[in-house]
Amino acid sequence: MPAPAVLRRTVLAGAVAALGLVLLVAPGARADVLSEVKQKGELTVGTEARFPPFEFVENGVIVGYSADIMAEIMKDLPGVTLERLDLPWQGILPGLAARRFDYVVTSVTVTPERFETYHLSVPVADATMAILKRKGDGAITKPEDIAGKPVGSQAGSAQLQALETLAGELKARGTPVAGITTYTDFSEAYADLGAGRIRAVVNSLPNLLEAQRQRPDVFEVVLPTFGPKTYFSWAGRKDADSAALNALIDAELVKLIQSGRMAELQVKWFGAPMELPTVLPVPGK
Amino acid sequence: MLAMLHQTYPVLLDGLMMTLLVSGIALLIGCPLGLLIARAALSDSRAARWTSGIYRSFWRGTPILVQLIIVFYLPMSFGLKVAPVLAAIVALALNTAAFQSEIYRAGLSAIPAGQLEAARLLGLTRAQILVRIEAPQAIRLMLPALISEALALIKNSSLVSVIAVTEITRRAQQIASATFHPLEAYTLALVAYLAIAAVLAGAGLLVERRLAHGGSR
Repeated sequence: MPAPAVLRRTVLAGAVAALGLVLLVAPGARADVLSEVKQKGELTVGTEARFPPFEFVENGVIVGYSADIMAEIMKDLPGVTLERLDLPWQGILPGLAARRFDYVVTSVTVTPERFETYHLSVPVADATMAILKRKGDGAITKPEDIAGKPVGSQAGSAQLQALETLAGELKARGTPVAGITTYTDFSEAYADLGAGRIRAVVNSLPNLLEAQRQRPDVFEVVLPTFGPKTYFSWAGRKDADSAALNALIDAELVKLIQSGRMAELQVKWFGAPMELPTVLPVPGK
Repeated sequence: MLAMLHQTYPVLLDGLMMTLLVSGIALLIGCPLGLLIARAALSDSRAARWTSGIYRSFWRGTPILVQLIIVFYLPMSFGLKVAPVLAAIVALALNTAAFQSEIYRAGLSAIPAGQLEAARLLGLTRAQILVRIEAPQAIRLMLPALISEALALIKNSSLVSVIAVTEITRRAQQIASATFHPLEAYTLALVAYLAIAAVLAGAGLLVERRLAHGGSR
């Protein structure tokens, strides 16, 4: 049902964004988020739990790389329980702006626009883009080979932006792609790739490696990666009352990177450690 | 598929329970509310008719997806954090009440005024008229429409995943993205919906038959 899905996505994104805007300008006295969290004993975070191996659901529980990192962080917030809401990606950042959750613990790909609007955390993973193809598709051996083929990615994602940039370069060279399809989430893009409606999916390398690991009979990652080096972050609000919470989570992440615990978790979930800076580089520069 | 069912049935069952809980409670709250709105629509008071009309236009004229988001996020601007499940139930209940009220309105106005007049002349009390004359005929008329409204509500409940309620569709989505086997996961959800629909339709048929007997006596 492509048409209703597109409609739903558009309606959803539009409504949440509009509401987010209304609520952003809505006045009202607000307490410091971190002290509120400690006082209530509950930290509410937004997650799109359809992004393995970062965050996904196994036996009804949200697990993955970010769940393990959060478990470490929560050790330093005694008496506080973690309330992790699972929402579609298009509702995550607007929901944060609408103050529905205190923080976003889901893989947010760093872009200049998001860097402007939100407080992005210390990087949690490498998010550099790559291409996934059907296994044995001999016509695609490098990223530029998507020229002339139908391709897909997730609506509203930085991955889609990267794909559009690549498609723009290909078009300038006179070899455009044969259409870009966008999806509510990556599972649908993978399903369409498997079904043969599209020839390639653009996502960050760790996610594609997971797809290949789970379905080696169907999917194959195309290397090298393309585009600039990109990172995954988490996100908080940029306002003053969120500053203490943002700082706490950043400090915890730096601690985990420096102690080597983060690298252990990377080996557990991605099969290899990643090199991560302890300060988020300003994107697009 | 069977292997996946074996692995995931506790999670799917949990999703199914959430679907039934959210749509079941919404349906129950929507019933008296719908009756009230139908009564108001048939009332002599112009204000009541207008209020009822505006309510019905709003909830029948806007997408459930938008209604869910409004109910979930809007209270935040008044500093009120509504739990996702509560917001889902409230939005679905207010929505189904509007649709149910139209069914009740049609059912109630379908009883010929002559029957009620005759019953009054025969000395039946208001309660007797409602129980013996109005209700049996109206329920028989409305039942098919009410069953389809219940089915529509259960299917609409698949939208509540956008406000972080993990009902069966969201569970299937989660399984699809964790296992990379989307077709199997969605087929299982499909079978679950079909099972609910079959039970509801069967129950409706049973009640309809009983009422048909009562009518022909």
